[in-house]
Amino acid sequence: MLRSIIALGAVAVAGSAFAADTPITGNVSSKCSIYTDVAGVYGNPNPDELSTLPADGGVMPIIRYDVSIADYYTAKISWPQSFTSSPSLSDSLTWDGEVEVSATSTTDMSGYEAAKVEYDNVTEYDLTAAGSTWFKVTSNVTYGVDKSLPGGEYKAAVEALCVAN
Amino acid sequence: MIIRVLAAASIFANGAASHEMTPTYFDFKPSYVDGVYVTTMSMWNRRNDVEYYEISVFDDEWNNLPFASRDRVFRLSYLSREKIDIYIKQEDIKDVEYICTSSKQLKSDVKSTGVKSTICSRIER
Repeated sequence: MLRSIIALGAVAVAGSAFAADTPITGNVSSKCSIYTDVAGVYGNPNPDELSTLPADGGVMPIIRYDVSIADYYTAKISWPQSFTSSPSLSDSLTWDGEVEVSATSTTDMSGYEAAKVEYDNVTEYDLTAAGSTWFKVTSNVTYGVDKSLPGGEYKAAVEALCVAN
Repeated sequence: MIIRVLAAASIFANGAASHEMTPTYFDFKPSYVDGVYVTTMSMWNRRNDVEYYEISVFDDEWNNLPFASRDRVFRLSYLSREKIDIYIKQEDIKDVEYICTSSKQLKSDVKSTGVKSTICSRIER
């Protein structure tokens, strides 16, 4: 009898030891992170033209936005309208560009491309789902009228903005 | 699944670099100076191509507002985190809408097309 009581007591103590848990709590606050996944490179398909299109020998910059909570942020991405550095240029430049969704982490983001708003050189996306969205940027510039671009290094900047709603 | 694998591959292949700022919604509390309020933003730099960031404060029409902080353009090394105190005069608080940090790249660090990243938090109303 005594043995049974001791055994039951031991089981009860062991059971209570198993039942005791150590809670781990965490909190993910809303935030937006902008990643530069791929730095772009201009190709030079024609003497008077620079382009990031792969067909033109360029590399399209890819920017990734991560948002931890839906509906908290708007992404605004601008294609360049001037060079940050270039050789001295004596004629005018004509800039063009396009921003498109290149990949998404969830199917909830499938409507982003259709819902985008474009004005000037800016494209706006409402980040209505939590997760990652990859955007690819096309940038194209032509120089003068059939004028060759002077030799040298050309650099321009894409602007990626994440604004809290 | 394929997208996740591609994403992971692209991160490792290109050393994905990010700019992050919290909180999303900030508020002001009185500082140790009479008539001056303060808010604290936290920044994390995972962009290995950027070491400098600029702070700006805007109203709802994106006009610049006066503010004080230790530095307007500050150095934040790769993989570093920093807390930034931003001081605003009491009479300007009603106009404050956004606090933004923008990456500032050195000319020598920009590749063919660089990316200027800006993150803007909004005042909690």
